[in-house]
Amino acid sequence: MSYLSILNLAAPETIMVMTALAVLAADLLFMRELERGTRQLIGAMIGCAGCLAAVAWMLVLPLPEPGSLMQGLFLVDPLIRIVKVALLALTIFTVLISMEADFTQHIGEYFALILFAAIGMMFLVSTEDILMIFISLELTSLSLYILTAFNKRNIKSAEAALKYFLFGGMAAAFTLFGLSLLYGISGSTNLAEIAKAVSGKSVNGLDPLLIAAIVLTVIGFGFKVAAVPFHLWAPDAYEGAPIPSAAFIASGSKVASFFVFAKVMMIGFKGAEGSGSLQAWMPGWVPTLAVVAAASMVLGNLAAIAQSSVRRLLAYSAIAHAGYVLLAVMAVPSPLAPHTSPLGPLVYYVITYGLTTLGAFAVVSNVQQRTGGDRLSDFAGLARRAPLLSFCMLIFMLSLAGIPPLAGFFGKFYVFTAALSSGGKSLGLLWLVILAVAMSAVSLYYYLLVLKQIYIMPSTDQDTPRPLSIGSQAIVFALAALVLILGCAPGLILEPVMSAIKVAGL
Amino acid sequence: MSMIQYLWLIPTLPLLAAALTAIAKQPQRRFAATLAIASMSLALVLSCIALTVALQHWGHGEPEHQVYNFRWFQFGDNHWLELGWVLDPLTAVMLVMVSFVGLLIFIYSTGYMAQDENFTRFFCFLSLFAAAMLGVVIANNLLLLFICWELVGLTSYLLIGFWYHKPAAAAAAKKAFITTRIGDLALLLGMVWLYSQSGTLLFYNGGKGCLEQTALLKLVTQTTSIGVAVSTGIALLIFCGAIGKSGQVPLHVWLPDAMEGPTPVSALIHAATMVAAGVFLVARVYPLMGAPATLVADHAEVVSTALRAVTWVGAITALFAATIAVAQSDIKRILAYSTVSQLGFMMIGLGVGGVAVGMFHLITHAFFKALLFMGAGSVIHGCHEEQDIRCMGGLRKFMPITFATYAIGMLALSGFPLLFSGFWSKDEILHHAHTWSVSHWPFYMGVVGALLTAFYMTRQVFYVFFGNCRLTLGKTTTSEQRTVAHGGATAKEHPHVELSSEPHESPLVMTAPLMVLAFFSVTLGFIGTPAWPWFQAFLEGKQLVSAPGKLMEGGILSVMGLSTIVVFAGIGLGYWLYGRKPVPASQQPDPIERLWPDVFYLLKRKYFVDEIYDWAVVGLNRRWAQACDWLDRWVWNGAVQIISYLTVVLSWANRVFDEKVVNLGFDEGCEGVSLGARLMSKLQNGRIQNYLRTIGLALAILVLILIWGCHAQ
Repeated sequence: MSYLSILNLAAPETIMVMTALAVLAADLLFMRELERGTRQLIGAMIGCAGCLAAVAWMLVLPLPEPGSLMQGLFLVDPLIRIVKVALLALTIFTVLISMEADFTQHIGEYFALILFAAIGMMFLVSTEDILMIFISLELTSLSLYILTAFNKRNIKSAEAALKYFLFGGMAAAFTLFGLSLLYGISGSTNLAEIAKAVSGKSVNGLDPLLIAAIVLTVIGFGFKVAAVPFHLWAPDAYEGAPIPSAAFIASGSKVASFFVFAKVMMIGFKGAEGSGSLQAWMPGWVPTLAVVAAASMVLGNLAAIAQSSVRRLLAYSAIAHAGYVLLAVMAVPSPLAPHTSPLGPLVYYVITYGLTTLGAFAVVSNVQQRTGGDRLSDFAGLARRAPLLSFCMLIFMLSLAGIPPLAGFFGKFYVFTAALSSGGKSLGLLWLVILAVAMSAVSLYYYLLVLKQIYIMPSTDQDTPRPLSIGSQAIVFALAALVLILGCAPGLILEPVMSAIKVAGL
Repeated sequence: MSMIQYLWLIPTLPLLAAALTAIAKQPQRRFAATLAIASMSLALVLSCIALTVALQHWGHGEPEHQVYNFRWFQFGDNHWLELGWVLDPLTAVMLVMVSFVGLLIFIYSTGYMAQDENFTRFFCFLSLFAAAMLGVVIANNLLLLFICWELVGLTSYLLIGFWYHKPAAAAAAKKAFITTRIGDLALLLGMVWLYSQSGTLLFYNGGKGCLEQTALLKLVTQTTSIGVAVSTGIALLIFCGAIGKSGQVPLHVWLPDAMEGPTPVSALIHAATMVAAGVFLVARVYPLMGAPATLVADHAEVVSTALRAVTWVGAITALFAATIAVAQSDIKRILAYSTVSQLGFMMIGLGVGGVAVGMFHLITHAFFKALLFMGAGSVIHGCHEEQDIRCMGGLRKFMPITFATYAIGMLALSGFPLLFSGFWSKDEILHHAHTWSVSHWPFYMGVVGALLTAFYMTRQVFYVFFGNCRLTLGKTTTSEQRTVAHGGATAKEHPHVELSSEPHESPLVMTAPLMVLAFFSVTLGFIGTPAWPWFQAFLEGKQLVSAPGKLMEGGILSVMGLSTIVVFAGIGLGYWLYGRKPVPASQQPDPIERLWPDVFYLLKRKYFVDEIYDWAVVGLNRRWAQACDWLDRWVWNGAVQIISYLTVVLSWANRVFDEKVVNLGFDEGCEGVSLGARLMSKLQNGRIQNYLRTIGLALAILVLILIWGCHAQ
């Protein structure tokens, strides 16, 4: 394979790297003297242009032959391409939201870090090699730690970043330990090779070494997706980080992590599934995840009720949603229904969830700029001050709660269906699905708490607020429209994903 | 351009208008009105294009139903929920009627609601209604139809209760919503049953739809446990939905109360379009209603059970509501009962004559009833919110345009011969009822209904427009009493209550739509006369045969003659009772009341149906609720209380045991530990260490769970 074809396969990533460097260089070399607003505008435009170029490269040019470099170190197939496009779209929205931020003077570094994180995510989704997974995981995480700490004037930002970093470092150590155990078992870093070794091991009961490897890997990814009990960093980070950073952690990072989490589990631990059914509990990674998912759903939803900060509320809601998505990860295609891959529902869920939560953060950002806080009471009477913004928030909240015809409903619907049909007729995961449905009902309560503040409570502040900028309203509106459209026509994402899955043979 | 692909634009335009108006601010009146009217005009243009497309297809003899179906989402393994829309003559004429009448009423509303504080909200709801109604019309899927159907019900609720601070309006809105809900429940059941039997809810889908040969044959051949064909069961359930929406007996009670809403709403929703949706639904699923006769040529003479039910319900409603209308004194209530009665006529038409007959009356009725309601609105407007016809009189002089157009509407509704549209459509129904093979009774009931219609309309016109003006200026009228009772809120809604000297003619923006409607109330009849049955031929997809000689045929001529006599008798009777010597004062009893006080009282109180329902349904419900409440309080709660006391006693015993026995020894140790913990927490004032410890703990627990699982095997 020539270098040219390697470049052809990795062109989107290459474009992104160049964009990140260009943003950095432009800001450091030419724009020191300019006003902050102009620098932000130029930086954001270069960033968006790079993302769009990468998207265009993937969508317009015909797909190169699905290929893989160095035994799964770097893969290109239609499914990965779709996930990358979604990641880039989320990146663009994050960059656009950042345009009005006023917490930093280091514009170039800030945008470059967002792009670096995005590059890490892109590499993360396009590999089936544990070494590569670890490296891109670290690239993403390190960028996100710095982004969390970026508001240097705010002590909460620093505290959140430190907690996030320490927790993440610990989790990374566990992951590395788990991955090295896997290497020890199989002698290979490729997921498919690992699977061969693993299924040989697990014929008669699980090997203790394998048990440790499973749990350690789950801990690493559990940290990335903020599942209980590895969620403790999330509320602090969501609350303390600058809003665009928090939004990116909640959206883009989730999409990439869940995708690779599912792939590692489904491909790498094939044959060590075990069973999460209550009647036939068998050790393996499925029951491990079942425990984590159940804990996430219960703790996330119950803790969210007690929050008075909307960003903490969104953090706990994210934890709960992580529990729902884990249902899809667990829904391994069973021999009884081989044609239904749970990856389709999973991708649909995380993409629409990313869009929704990004929109919710954008609304919070607008409110915080005007009232100086993100307490629930700061939202009181928002409907009178900003009807369009409030309406968009209504859509985001109801979608998160899973009200049809918004995207959140179909996400849940497909994920639950996949979990139910995974065990064939035995309905092994029924208890989890029942728990998930019950917990979604609970979640409606705290989403409505936000809407109650917006629509029913009278406004508390009397002074005339700053007018909203058209740009930020347009971004929020575009996100709300996407949530609505993807909800009314789930096929827009689902059908290409399903056909891509067929091509990829997952 | 193939129109069928763009048919969805027609309901979407008003929907967009509604959405944009919803986020507009209260004072943006001009924006709201412009948007609503512009979207309706565009919808009308598109509807006209759709009609021409349908006409072309009729000419070419191409398939009658053009459909556009698409997959919405997948569920289960290989089930797709498909939605779609259909363009056929039925859809086309309904589209044009709804958007045209809707547009006129939108324009009229800008005048009628000009003073209202919540002008923008009104137009938001109105546009949403138009969108939902147009959605009902184009739906090619019973589910899509049902969704829009419910939306129509919701907007009806919102608009009836538009002046929600009036308790009567709020109550009427609730009544309308709940009463129609009974029918909707049956419709939902019918839909579910239909889906379970045929596996699709699409009406037409190239031979695979549920209204097409294959599915119908399957439905007809299967029988239920009580010996009725499945198709009949489903058809009857669907018809129940139509009964609720179209105000047929016994679910008619909500429609007269719905007149509490603003008058344009009464005209649009409760006269021209929404209440006709029930009739439209029956027409839409006519192949199912008529099965097996519509299916097999041998059975062409057999009248299906469902259609018999439709006819009888229609006939009873037509007569029943007409008698009540005779004794009402609220100008809008008379029209409301008249609407119920005319909807009954449409049902008769569907039952005895088929889609074309019922639909023809639906279309003509939409025009002249909208005209009458808007005329009534103009009268109410001109008389400073007076609605009691006994307190009007002599308005002919003050409101010449309103009078002229109202008279045209009244003659059309009464079925005045030859010139007016109502005559032709009603005559068509009576003619088919006359030749119905099952029974002659619907025909007789229809004739009596027609007589009463002519009579009560004459009565109303004489009360309102002739004689002396009995409008007492300065005296608090009924609506003003309401105003006083509710803290002047209504006065805010109608600043024009301040009494100027005399009744006055309404502004041009209100009278112009009246004139347009009056024009169509006259001319529309000529598209469906027996001599030139264009409308019927179009709807049934047949070749148009114009036969002027048919007018002179025995059967048709005699029915026409009979209905002419009936109309003249009704008008004459009305004139004799009310026109010869004008009613002198508003307090005097009605002439019929003097003749038969008991009968008049019975009719005036609407046969006590409301009271019976109140006693039977509401009362039973209340008693049942009280019984449940009693059970809850004393039986279940008692059990729960006992358990809770038991728990309390147990926990108390537990505590005693704990404190006196266990703790004594334990306390010492605990003291030590907690002292250590406090020391530790002083040393570690951040919480991150605890976080990290959690990971280790989780690792241990998860590994233990798995190992325990291994050993358990």
